[in-house]
Order: sequence, then C-alpha cells, then structure tokens
Amino acid sequence: MSYRVVLVESDPKILEELNNTLKKSPDFEVVSTYTKANDALGQSGVYNPKLFLIDIDNAEFLEMLPAFVDIYPNRIILGTMSSWNPDFAQKAAEANIAGCILKPFRANDIIEAMNLYQRRGKFKPARIVSFFSPKGRSGRTTLASLLALDVAKKSGESVALIDADLQFGDLPIFFDVEPDHTVVDAVHDIKMLTPVTLAPYFHKLTENVWLLSSPDRPEYAELVDADGLVSVIRMAGHVFRYVLVDLPAGFNPISVAVSDFADTNFVVAMINTGLEIEHMKRSLSLFKSRVREHKKTCPIFTRVNPCDEAQRVKMEMELGSPIIAIFPNEYNLVSIANSGQILRGLPPDTLMSQTIEKLSEELMYGEL
Amino acid sequence: MAEGRSSIVISIFSTSSGIGKTITAINLAAGLAKEGYAVCLVDLDLQFGDIVNYLRLNPKHTIADAQMSMQINEKNFNVTDYLTDYYHEDGKGNSCKFSVLAPPRTIYDAYVIDVEFVERMIRRLNYFDFVVLDLNAAFSALNLAMLDMSTIINFIGVIDFLPSVKNFKIGYDTLIRFEYEESKIRLVENRADSQKLIDGRDVERLLGERFFHRLPNDFRSVSKSINEGCPLMFAAPSSPLTKSFMDLAGEYTVRHDDEEIAAEVPVQNDGIFSRFFSMFS
Repeated sequence: MSYRVVLVESDPKILEELNNTLKKSPDFEVVSTYTKANDALGQSGVYNPKLFLIDIDNAEFLEMLPAFVDIYPNRIILGTMSSWNPDFAQKAAEANIAGCILKPFRANDIIEAMNLYQRRGKFKPARIVSFFSPKGRSGRTTLASLLALDVAKKSGESVALIDADLQFGDLPIFFDVEPDHTVVDAVHDIKMLTPVTLAPYFHKLTENVWLLSSPDRPEYAELVDADGLVSVIRMAGHVFRYVLVDLPAGFNPISVAVSDFADTNFVVAMINTGLEIEHMKRSLSLFKSRVREHKKTCPIFTRVNPCDEAQRVKMEMELGSPIIAIFPNEYNLVSIANSGQILRGLPPDTLMSQTIEKLSEELMYGEL
Repeated sequence: MAEGRSSIVISIFSTSSGIGKTITAINLAAGLAKEGYAVCLVDLDLQFGDIVNYLRLNPKHTIADAQMSMQINEKNFNVTDYLTDYYHEDGKGNSCKFSVLAPPRTIYDAYVIDVEFVERMIRRLNYFDFVVLDLNAAFSALNLAMLDMSTIINFIGVIDFLPSVKNFKIGYDTLIRFEYEESKIRLVENRADSQKLIDGRDVERLLGERFFHRLPNDFRSVSKSINEGCPLMFAAPSSPLTKSFMDLAGEYTVRHDDEEIAAEVPVQNDGIFSRFFSMFS
C-alpha cells in the first residue's frame, strides 16, 4: 500500500526536490502539491490524501495546522523543518499533528517518523512530569517508576523515564539494566538530534516504557547543563507521550530548570521525624513563587501511618495546602527494588497499588 | 590552646540522604563536648538542615547572616557573634555544651551562600578543638571544599537497600578517585544490626575497605532524642547507640591514643594505667 501524499511547501525549488524524491519511492504517491497552505487546505480533499507534509518553517503555514487537523481528521500530518526548531515543534504538537521531520528527507525518513509518532500514542502534546523531593530517601524514584509502568499499561501510550538524579540516579538499579547510553550522551548530542535519532538513546524496559539512564560516575554530572537537559526533555516529549523526570534531591540548577519546564511537579517527602511537613512547606513556597500559573505543584507524602483520610486532612491543615496523595509504608517495595524486579509491579489490591492507580488516572484523564 | 593551631575538622558525609548524618553529627559533637573539648557543629545542609530542629534551638543568626557580615566588613567580622550555644544538663550532674552555626532560614538565603566565604568562616572557627560539619548527600562544590578542609571524613552508609549500597560504593570510589587519602576516610555503617537482606561483610568486600565504626540500630531512642530536642546521652543514656556514639567520639580524642598505648603496656592491671593516661588527656 502506498500513502497518498499532499506536499505543502512555500519554496518552489524545495517543493520540486521533495516531490522528485517521493516519486522514486513505491511507498508514496504524491497526489497534489501546493506552495500556499490555504490552497492546500481548501482543495486537497478531492485527492483523498492519507498524509500531509506541511512546511512549518513558514510561520503562516504553522499557524494553519489546527485548521488542517480540523478539516482532515484521521489523516497523518507531519510538519517539515529545515533544521530542528523546538518552538515550532512545540507549536505543531499543540496543534495535535503527528509530529515533525527535517527536510530534505528520504522516503524512509518519513516511514521511520510515522512509526515513531504512532508508537508515541495520541497526537497530543506530551505531559512532562517532574519528581522533586526536598531530601533524598523520599520514595521519589519508586513513585516515578510505578507511575510510569501504570500509565503505560492504562493508556497504551509510550512513557519515558529520565533519570536526572545525575550523581546518584537509582533507576537503572531499580530495573536491573545497564543501558548503553546515558543522559550525558543525549545532552552532548542534542543539538544534532531529532526525535527519530534521540529515540535510540532510551533503553527499552517494557513494550512502552523506556529509560534514559543517569551516568555511572558522579563527576559526569558536570557534563550536563540545565539548558541541555531541558532540550533533551523537550525533544523526548516528541518521542514519548509521557515524560517522567526523576530529579536530584533539593533545589539546584538541574532540579529548578526541569521543574520550571515540566507541566506538573510531584513534590515527594517521606514521613520520618515529622519535620518533613516543614520541609514540604519550604519547598512549596519556593515552587509557588516561581512556577507559572498553568502548572501544577502536587505535594505527596510517603510512609504515612495511619494512611487514611483523617490523617490526610490533619496533614493538610498542618501544611496549609492540599495533599494530592498519601502512600502507606510498603515493606515489600524494598525487596522488590533490591531484586531489581520493580517491573513485576506491586501486588494488586493493596492500598499502595490502589493509590498509584488513582494517581495515574488523575494524570491521564483528570485534574492533574 | 596554642595560637595558630587549627581545629580538628570532622565532616559527616554520605551519598544517600536519610541515613543518619545529622544524628551522627549531633551526637559526635555532644560526645566530644562531654569529654571537655570546645566543639562547634556546623549545619551545611543549607536548604533543609535539621540540626536546629533536632536540638530545639532558636538561632538569632545563621550562616547567611555571617556571610553577609563578612561581605560588608570582613576585618571586623567575628564568627563567634553568629554562633548559637547549645547547653543541656540533666539535673544529675551531667551537662554538655557546644556551639552551633545554623543553616539559612530560607532556600533563597541558602542559594546565595558562597563556598569561599564558608571556607574562611570555618577557618575562623580554629579556636575550637573540634569543628563537626554536617554535609548533605551530593558531590557539590561546597561539600568538596569542606571535604578538602576536613581532617577526617566520616563516610556514612546504611546498607539495607541495594540502591544505597550502590551509592555508597560509588561515593567511596569517587572519594578515592578524587584523591582523598584513604586514611582520612572513615567508613561508618549505621543501623548495622538491623534486620536486613544485605550483609555488612559483603559490602566491605565490595568496597575493599573495612568499616571503621558500626552504629547499632535504635530507632526508638533516636525518635525520643528528636522529640525531646537533646542528644542521645540525655534522651537515652543507656542505649547501645549512645555508647557507640561515645566510642566514636573517643576515636577522635587523645583518650583513644592513650588507651592504645595502655593496651600495649604489658601490665596486668591496665585499668589503673588507662586512668593514669587519661589524666593527661
């Protein structure tokens, strides 16, 4: 089967070049070409196209993407760019198109991109969720892992875990894997990458959960600058529908930059001495002072005992802020993480697994 | 003490948090103070330091105030003005007194703390016999500068959890790679006798180094100490953990040297000799 393609490209020379490339491929049949987006929008329907390739270097064309999505639902729309522009890519994602590719392209590049974007999930902007904790040993990494597995299972879409705890990241040991690439490589190479070429930096954990590992030596953390890491996370949002980022403890350039960029920040603290509520207060005041309006900051406490509604209300009073979830102590988890068998997930029908499921549903469909 | 002599700087460091650094720092400081030494305890977990909370102190000044004063006029800066005294007596003749340099009040204040100012501040604490530094769990510029200044690095780990063991090993290897002398690094295992799946001896084999000290697990006494706002020697005087902290403090005092010498003297009644030597400490 060959894809019926509509090419929309403002530069006639490039249009001709792309057209010639696709003509040579048995996988594609160019049914119509346009140098003006409004012509394409109005006229393409008669050719019954399956795939649109639309030049988004042109700002006017970029603006018209939502109209294409509206008029041609269930078609694949790819934005084409001469070099990767994260702002254009973001705008295209917000228009709910499949994704973007670089031009000039070969036929195979289009197929790879379409495969990747279909694997990614719904043609909607990515959810970027950060996991912050004031101090370590909060259950932050456990929570990020369990949520990634559950969201992937429930949504069928693809989920990335990025281990940004650069000095002492625990995600590889949680999953008992030794990935070939780390976040250091991805940040180093990011300027040359596109979603298709970034994807192999992630290590496959399950059918639709992937890990970008932390480096294996603490000093390599210095090779990762906050801007570079945010660029990686941003592009990961075009590879995966959900990007969950595990941060180092406390406020530092990395954790601040990533939580500024994320749409949702889970702030996790483990109840131990009781002073954790004070630490949470301190953290929330900082989040609230700098985080943009549309973002959500979600306090979560782990190892809460008794773990019930009354206790939550009591803690909320003390904190002066709603608490999004409280987790009971789960001794099993220590042995699960010790054995690198977190993939097996939690025993079902425990308070712990129910709380995780509720949280992932809220993340997928609800308020979060 | 003699002019120009510097303090013994003992840092408490780890590569996982929540493993007992602050409790160790407080009780080591208290133990050294109990033996009559002048001790200053410095909370360098700048964002979420808990020493003042664990000791129920209301510091008038913090390290952030001290830095600001140095920035304005370092010549007239007197670090003593920025310390908070901790004093406790139990009514049975036991007392303990040491100084605390408190962490900043807000995260904003923590952000402006500059490594070079902290270094100069710590040097100005040289009128103390011991300066105990409670660090946080990262290889940060500040922590590395403090480890450089330290006479002894107590590198603490709890080895009940595989990721913690990994971080303990990585942390130790990194310290060695950063060329800290092995003799300066003292491995301390916390909660050593708690029920766990990982054997301390396996960890020693993994690290290629023995634990210098092992602290037993006593969650109850630690909680009591935090709730009462005083070191374990007052909150739980008979706990094995309290004794273990006193032993750890003893490792860093002259008393320890004397005992070693005493042990080498071939006499039967070494009790008298220990006491004899301890008179010189």
